[in-house]
Amino acid sequence: MNKKKTMQDKMNRQYFLLIVPGMVIFTIGVILPLLLALRYSFTSWDGMTVEKESVGISNYINLWKDANFRQAWWFTIKFTIANTIVQNVFALLFAVALDSGIKAQKVYRTILFIPCLVSAVIVGFVWLKLYSNVLPELNEIFGTNINFLLFGDGKTVLRGLVIANNWQWIGYWMLIYLAGLQSVPSDLYEAAKVDGASAVQRFFNVTIPMLAPAITICVVGITTGSLKVYDLLVSSTGGGPGRASTSVIQMIYATAISGRQYGYGSAMSVTLVVILLMVAMIQVKGLKSKEVQS
Amino acid sequence: MKKKALSLLLCSAMTVGMLTGCGGSGDDGAANTPAADTVDEAEAPAAAEEADEAEAPAPSTDGEEVTLTVLAGQSTTDAGIEDMIDAALAEKYPNITLEWECTGWDGEFHPKMQQYMQSGLPDIIIGKAQDVNTYASQGLLGEIDATYLDRGLDAARENVTIDGKTYGLVYNALYQGVYYNKTMFAENGWEVPTTQEELQAIIDDCNAKGIVPFASHMVDTWSIGNVTMQFMMNDVFNNTPDWGDQFREGKVSFAEDQAAQTAYSYNKLIFDNTYPETFSTEQTDCDARMVLGEAAMKVSGSWSIQNFLDIDENFDFGIFPFPNQTGDSKLIFEPNIAIMTSAQTEHQDAVNCVLDVLSGDKELAVEILDFTKTASMLKDVAPTFANPSQADIDEYASKGMIVDVTLGNNQLVWGGFQEENAADIAAYLQGDISFEDCLAASDARVGSSSAQ
Amino acid sequence: MAKFRRARQAEDVTQKPYTASTFAVQAVMTVVAVLFLFPLFVILNYSFKTKKELYLTSPLKLPDSLQWANYEAALKKLNLTTTFTNTFIYTAVSVLILALLCGVTAWAISRGKGKFFKFSFVYFVIGILIPFQALFLPIYTIGYKMHLTNTRYGIIFMYVATGISFGVFLMNSFMSTVPLELEEAARIDGCSVVRTYFVIVFPLLKPAFATLIIMQAFQIWNDYLLASLYVSKKGLKTLTVAIQSLFSAQASDYTTAMAAIVVSVLPISVLFLSLQKYFIKGMTVGAVKG
Repeated sequence: MNKKKTMQDKMNRQYFLLIVPGMVIFTIGVILPLLLALRYSFTSWDGMTVEKESVGISNYINLWKDANFRQAWWFTIKFTIANTIVQNVFALLFAVALDSGIKAQKVYRTILFIPCLVSAVIVGFVWLKLYSNVLPELNEIFGTNINFLLFGDGKTVLRGLVIANNWQWIGYWMLIYLAGLQSVPSDLYEAAKVDGASAVQRFFNVTIPMLAPAITICVVGITTGSLKVYDLLVSSTGGGPGRASTSVIQMIYATAISGRQYGYGSAMSVTLVVILLMVAMIQVKGLKSKEVQS
Repeated sequence: MKKKALSLLLCSAMTVGMLTGCGGSGDDGAANTPAADTVDEAEAPAAAEEADEAEAPAPSTDGEEVTLTVLAGQSTTDAGIEDMIDAALAEKYPNITLEWECTGWDGEFHPKMQQYMQSGLPDIIIGKAQDVNTYASQGLLGEIDATYLDRGLDAARENVTIDGKTYGLVYNALYQGVYYNKTMFAENGWEVPTTQEELQAIIDDCNAKGIVPFASHMVDTWSIGNVTMQFMMNDVFNNTPDWGDQFREGKVSFAEDQAAQTAYSYNKLIFDNTYPETFSTEQTDCDARMVLGEAAMKVSGSWSIQNFLDIDENFDFGIFPFPNQTGDSKLIFEPNIAIMTSAQTEHQDAVNCVLDVLSGDKELAVEILDFTKTASMLKDVAPTFANPSQADIDEYASKGMIVDVTLGNNQLVWGGFQEENAADIAAYLQGDISFEDCLAASDARVGSSSAQ
Repeated sequence: MAKFRRARQAEDVTQKPYTASTFAVQAVMTVVAVLFLFPLFVILNYSFKTKKELYLTSPLKLPDSLQWANYEAALKKLNLTTTFTNTFIYTAVSVLILALLCGVTAWAISRGKGKFFKFSFVYFVIGILIPFQALFLPIYTIGYKMHLTNTRYGIIFMYVATGISFGVFLMNSFMSTVPLELEEAARIDGCSVVRTYFVIVFPLLKPAFATLIIMQAFQIWNDYLLASLYVSKKGLKTLTVAIQSLFSAQASDYTTAMAAIVVSVLPISVLFLSLQKYFIKGMTVGAVKG
């Protein structure tokens, strides 16, 4: 027993050495910035001067009162919720459709996947052109009167961005669902069939529970992906019209970098980190409970 | 015990990590070496010696190979001039190489400057005239030798000079105002308006005839910000040049100042008399519609010329200042590319060589001006591209009816202020917030209104 | 989960009967596929037009003749050889370092016993919960204070630092697939810890590495925020940043921009199409595992 213990200690020491490089890099690249953000968030630093005047928690108090910051959060939350729902539903639907025995499944899979190879910056730009120039042309051709100018109005800009974002990412999540579906053993379906379950019942009682891990991955992935939205906006709406589509990260950029309020922007960063951590904790809990179930 | 030792070790490892991180930054502050680029650091001592030796008055570097770092904050219309400058420099001073870092002036230029303020500025900085005010006041920029300044127009110097020292070589200039379709104006018998009433008459006539009065592209917030400054220049700054200072002292505010409110409200006039889809229309599309005769006027600047002529090289247009309340509007003039130098460059002679080429090479100047469709700020240099609006510009110039917008941009800065206010104006036009809210938001931003 | 590991074979899918409803699904998916392809068609179509065609004719009209000049302009404006090489180097090197580092770190964490190893797992996982985008501001500050900006190693360092959390988490979830008996046997044969890893564990983790490499390569290749903040010197720029500058506000040159998009998307699409099998396998192995 004793011998085994010293053996494990010896091994532990070697394992420890193996962890150190990664940990140092991670600490410098991520944790140190986190601490820096925290530190600067209590100053009124403009990002340029040498002295960084401490202002206590007044940045945080001001944040609370900042209507623009609230609006940026509101937009980001709406964008996240809309994406999480729409993307999951459609990705799953498409996956089921592709798994239903249609011909040339791989061709569809490839077509739906290709948009996510494109950088979000490009996606934003392309959809800007689509909405303002290309799609309205369809109205002329078909004599319809659909409003395609989704980026041009604060009331529709969210819809427009969600569509663009979904075009890009549905194929990616669909692939994960597809893999999940294909890992469901067919004898389960047969057993359900024998029990007289309808197709819909089979879907909800067999498929969905079996997809639990894939669903978790997709929900977590889409949520965190949407909360940090920035690239998509840079080349499309630029946060407009007005401030209708300004995301939190964009607001941080505008405040700290263009607006030279580095301390205040840092406080925004810190609140974003706290909220992301909270959201993630809740999701990790959910993931844990599901693991127990299966 | 072991575990404790282990976690202690980890903690100390992390602390060391942080200390070295912070220590590194401390060194930056103390050291005076403008190591703009870490890669070059090793060469720095050698370079310093070389600089000491070469004290010749004329720009000469004794043929030594020198690499200068250049940070350029460009508009998209400027992108590409770096290759022209490289070519011209290679001809005259083949030993000097420029290491370019080109960024968007609206985007990464200022963050980069902030970064370099802590690690040492690049040898040459190319920005806009208003940047001189921001950075020279912090003692970062070097004074530019009179030899090169004298090759430029005197008018260019005023707003890049602080306490008698000039820190920027202004290279070219833009004009801003209302571009109008000359053919359309002639056909409809419209005269160039000088008062709001005359402008309104044209707008009414347009609307009656089914012509869109103004082409605009409000999808770009910068465009709203740009025209708002044009309005502010003629309605506010022309009468009260220190309006921004008074604003910061609390003497005036957007909520109470009638003139500032008028300037803001012109945006509504445009919005009510432009395409309904202006918030979905980008500049190129907007310019195309103007060229195609769908709209009569466009409040814009010289950057539109490139588009106009790209779409139709025969498009005939002129320019007039947007009429103010008092009917004495001036055409807006904006010094654009301004070349600045680091106060602490180790290669002053090489930098001077570059200034020599930029201010002295007329062929290069014409090439750049033709490419960017801008006006010259160098003596005896004129672009050769056909600019239908040149006659109008000359006329306003001869009457002294031209004003430099750098004044306004120094009084109320672009980044963090004008830019943010423009987003509020857009929100107001969209009906998201009231006009009062929009004014109040600008007032609340007073702390960000100055670069100092 | 393990009891359901007997996944259906690929042939299984085609065994489903092709009924009228399957045909209906096929029809709907065809429409969906066309809708998904439409933006790509628009990009291609624009990229071959002249500027005048762009403004004067319908955006859906095919170009009168193929304007290869747009592509020439795009290659020049993007500085393609340089930007492409840069993006490739940043992506490849970062991903290789990540694979090496994450594999060994995750393995050591899962094999080490004691609070420290539990703590380090949580410590790394914090990084997944906070995407680096939320911290771009101080990451940028750290970057220039430590002279990491405008250097190749700087941006690679940051891609590694910001990718390590996900990598460790992912690799850790694969560690249960490596049988401990093998490791113990190796140890009895006198293998050192490091040797055990490289000889026994490393080869068993190939699918996991495929996942890691693919997922990170994607992100890094398409990254905009970090690249725009970290590398802006002409010789160091990445493809995405170069393209974005073509879109900027004033005087967008759409035909060239669209050609540039084609040029930038093409290599990664070709890579995807030719390695599709590995891509999908790699991506979904992790996902199905959960």
